[in-house]
Amino acid sequence: MLRQIARPILAAAAFACLSGFTIVWDKPASETGEKAVPQTDEARMAAYAQENWQNKVVPVIEEHVVPLAKLRGLVAESADKAGEAYGLRPEGEANPWNFAVSGEGKIVGAKLKSRAAKLEVDTDGDGKGDVTIQLGPVIRGTALRDAMPFINFTDFRDQIEFAKLANALNDVAHGRLSLPESDPTGETAHFEGVFTLRGDAASIELVPTKLTIGG
Amino acid sequence: MTMTRREFVSALAVAACLLASPALAQDKGLMAIITPSHDNPFFKAEAVGAEKRAKELGYDTIVLVHDDDPNKQSEMFDTAIARGAKAIILDNAGADATVAPVQRAKDAGIPSFLIDREIKESGIAISQIVSNNYQGAQLGAEKFVELMGEEGPYVELVGREADTNAGIRSSGYHDIIDQYPDMKMVAQQSANWSQTEAYEKMESILQANPKIKGVISGNDTMAMGAWAALEAAGRTDVILVGFDGSNDVRDSIIKGGIKATVLQPAYREAQLAVEQADQYLKTGSTGQQEKQLMDCILIDETNAKALETFALSE
Repeated sequence: MLRQIARPILAAAAFACLSGFTIVWDKPASETGEKAVPQTDEARMAAYAQENWQNKVVPVIEEHVVPLAKLRGLVAESADKAGEAYGLRPEGEANPWNFAVSGEGKIVGAKLKSRAAKLEVDTDGDGKGDVTIQLGPVIRGTALRDAMPFINFTDFRDQIEFAKLANALNDVAHGRLSLPESDPTGETAHFEGVFTLRGDAASIELVPTKLTIGG
Repeated sequence: MTMTRREFVSALAVAACLLASPALAQDKGLMAIITPSHDNPFFKAEAVGAEKRAKELGYDTIVLVHDDDPNKQSEMFDTAIARGAKAIILDNAGADATVAPVQRAKDAGIPSFLIDREIKESGIAISQIVSNNYQGAQLGAEKFVELMGEEGPYVELVGREADTNAGIRSSGYHDIIDQYPDMKMVAQQSANWSQTEAYEKMESILQANPKIKGVISGNDTMAMGAWAALEAAGRTDVILVGFDGSNDVRDSIIKGGIKATVLQPAYREAQLAVEQADQYLKTGSTGQQEKQLMDCILIDETNAKALETFALSE
């Protein structure tokens, strides 16, 4: 995206050089209120994730969210049918489905003192955790990125930039959570989020976009 | 006149194409298949997979090897253009250096379909089908951390710097491993994807760091080189994880040597590129985005036996 902006500028500059004109900037970009272009992949992708979160990411989740129990029923019949009905994935062979789900359940385990903090939630009442809610700050996977229809790998420079984008979206999700301060084991978690379906949906690893504990 | 083995193999490949039975070809024209050296079975599998599918679909083929030399790759594009190839299937010799020849082919009306490695421009090639190296590297790193018991000194062997895949795998490894403060990287060196170079690097790393507990490698050929050095030093206790899913590493896993690797579906990727080329030549569109990722699969002692030539049987 940024390269698309940079290209006409470069072209204009090249034209100016070739034709003997000199471009005189009225003011440096920093004084005209335009943001300076962030330099690292990480910074650029972080800015992209922030910019698009409210206007683009949230509406996709709201539009496609499905109750987890219902989704599990559908996946048990046919993962592809469930995917066709509610799933989100990039085009192309062998891309797994991603789903936006909502649900609730009893917290049966919590690992809070970790860079990859998580809650284990029992949503089907058998006493065992079947949803892992990733609290971060390190959140695994590319579910959020790959669920977004407006994000195409082709628009990004390479896999490195594209991986940073997945992490940046996970970071925004993490930043919007209010995390439990004490061990919430035994309490109820109400959650909404995105996950990548691998195998059946018996145990899923969720990137939460909403989380309330208690009640 | 002396001929290197590589030239001999290339010559053989060309000869084989020239001798290809006309009964097989349905006159759909020539498809050029250009990859790095077949010394690495990964690239051989790509070439074999692409060639087989192209012939099935009625194309003649010319199989060329650029040996990761951009100049050689450039000459091969000229060959493909001069021979009037209908399409080029390419595993390229560098993300920056490949932009120009792909553009040259495009200007000559020949579409390129890239596999395995990306180039740093979009809109020039028709397809870029690459393994999801970041996802795969995270799988490998998770297994590595588990085998290491989440602690200990380890070494990372990195691939060739000009190749985006070297950087992305390293980044995928570290995004997982660095979450574990007791995992200590004592050396990180590039062995340029090469088995012999990995052997030499591993030897010297072992001398400087005799207490290492694990090695994580950016590909399987380097893993094989490192394993040979570890065996020679009597250090088969060292935990080694690779990347690619080669038959060599599969055999080592089955024998209890190397512990795990990550399968890239290379054979399928190559076939898919040919199918998309065929579709594009027939309809003017592949029906897909240019850049496509294919997920990788962890291979360990539980599924190694189902692995054959970069594909996992069901």
